[in-house]
Amino acid sequence: MSQNHPFEQEELMAYLDGELSTDRATAAVAHLERCPDCQRVAAVLREVSQDLMAWEVGSSSPRIEAGISSALEERGRESAGANAGKEIPVGISRVRRFTPWALGFAAICLVVFVWSVKSVGPNPGKPFNSVPSSVGEPMAERAPVNGRIYDRLQQFSKLQQAPEVQAPPMDSNGLPQGTGVHAQRSISVDGRPPTNSASPVRAEILMAGDSVVPPPGGPMIVRTAGVTLTTRDFDQARAGLDDILRRHRGYVGELNVNTPAGVGRTLTATLRVPADQLDATLAELRKLGRVEAESQSGQEVTAQYVDLEARLLNGRNTERRLIDVLQQRTGKLADVLAVETELSRVRGEIESMESQGKSLAKQVDFATLNATVNEDYKAQLQVVPPSTSTQFRNAAVDGYRSMVDGIVGVAVFLFSYGPSLLLWCAVLFFPVRFFWRKFRRVNPE
Amino acid sequence: MTSDEALMLEFQRGSREAFEELFARYREPLYGFFCRRLESRERAEDLAQETFLAVIRASSRYEPRALVRTYLYGIALNLVASERRTRVRNAVLVEGGSEVAANPDSDAALWVRRALERLDASEREILMLREYEQLSYSEIAQLLRIPVNTVRSRLFRARLALKIWLEPEKRTHGSGMAIDASARRREGEGLK
Repeated sequence: MSQNHPFEQEELMAYLDGELSTDRATAAVAHLERCPDCQRVAAVLREVSQDLMAWEVGSSSPRIEAGISSALEERGRESAGANAGKEIPVGISRVRRFTPWALGFAAICLVVFVWSVKSVGPNPGKPFNSVPSSVGEPMAERAPVNGRIYDRLQQFSKLQQAPEVQAPPMDSNGLPQGTGVHAQRSISVDGRPPTNSASPVRAEILMAGDSVVPPPGGPMIVRTAGVTLTTRDFDQARAGLDDILRRHRGYVGELNVNTPAGVGRTLTATLRVPADQLDATLAELRKLGRVEAESQSGQEVTAQYVDLEARLLNGRNTERRLIDVLQQRTGKLADVLAVETELSRVRGEIESMESQGKSLAKQVDFATLNATVNEDYKAQLQVVPPSTSTQFRNAAVDGYRSMVDGIVGVAVFLFSYGPSLLLWCAVLFFPVRFFWRKFRRVNPE
Repeated sequence: MTSDEALMLEFQRGSREAFEELFARYREPLYGFFCRRLESRERAEDLAQETFLAVIRASSRYEPRALVRTYLYGIALNLVASERRTRVRNAVLVEGGSEVAANPDSDAALWVRRALERLDASEREILMLREYEQLSYSEIAQLLRIPVNTVRSRLFRARLALKIWLEPEKRTHGSGMAIDASARRREGEGLK
């Protein structure tokens, strides 16, 4: 900003974007009319915006609507189920959505599943180097690709449980056969870039098949509330607090009661109550006494959860691909070890993300309520003074205590500064004596 | 016209028509959002659909504390970030797994796209959110969790830099995209 240009160029840009307040915008218009430099800057900015509009992406195809309409129907059924007091699991409601088609689809899946289980079951007569057809089969029962990989897989199977994934039977090219959920799932683990061709609906099937924390039913809010009460009957308030917690299915995270002399008692508690019971719990807590302070806050963690969910899904896909690589590809021992190391890392990440998701869900499900209950203290008038003998005795005790404290203090001072004092006395003794004698000689009287 | 937030609340109460209205309003903007950030149009459609599915799943607990528009683009940004992470992993794990551009862009669009790719990632995201998604400075700041002044300064820098890459006469010279730094600096000084 200068005398000629009362506006920064960024502010000028903000005006063009409609981001300035009315008074500043009016001033900007007036300045723009008479300042050629700013007019040039404005023209440049407008030109850039116009050039950017050259990138048009066209319209989306109708297939985007397919998954949405089915999801809306499913939501309608879920809400109807919830109104009836029943929670419909996501996986079940998804199957219901397709009704007749779902039955046929499920029948095909069942046939493929039974066939694949039979084909990968324990078979003593199976050739030693045949290719395993299921990653969900216990590692120890699985035929090895070659000796080295088999040894590694056996070691690995002792450390990790086999993933809960049933892949379809493979054809001679190592590609999955069949249709349905299993076929879709196997496509995502066959080593090709799967995510670019995977539809969201298929992603949902993958999620439903895995033992993941179920997705939330809406925006996830971590709710926190605080209330400070003052009550005349502290014991009754304490009992009421326990009763309210029991009725609203909450529990005590932490509870402290202080009973200092001369002032009222104080109860400080951190309570955890189901999020949908928070308002009711607060309303009942208010009845326990006079409300001194109250607060409520909420932190939305939906985006965090969705991101976590997406990363978890990707992690699982990566895990499946790595298992597939271990099973179907032969190679150097170093390559196998590298894949196993990567697999361990990915599994560690998955477990970490699962625990984060569970923790997040728990924080959302249970709100935190910080309650403080203060007793309305009534001071007691002390009508009986202490007796004379007691006063004498207390004075004697105080005198003795003062004497001991004084002796200890002097001793501590001597121990602390005594050596230094002795040193300085020794150093200064002879010079002082010399000057003193000299002074005496000069002034004998 | 009913506001997005009112529609969302109606949808929360069970109105399917409200969601269909929201879907109609944001279907193309979200598709454009993903289309301009991903190589594949099919994948852009998938992720746009996934954004709406996330909204449907989250509708019962929606609270109108933020704009629906910001809420939608927040989900979309997360999905894009996740998609990019997946692409990087696939490129590492699968040999030759690099994604081939499948967008049949026009010459002008290609020119703009390449110019945008030259920008710093943070400046590019802000510029695209402003120009294509038409978000306000405060909405962008809220989405990217940065101060509003940072949004403004980065947006200004991005526009000035893009002016160089989009310079019309360079377009006619074929390989004129390689503008040297001195020309860029001169242009920047000239504007100031």
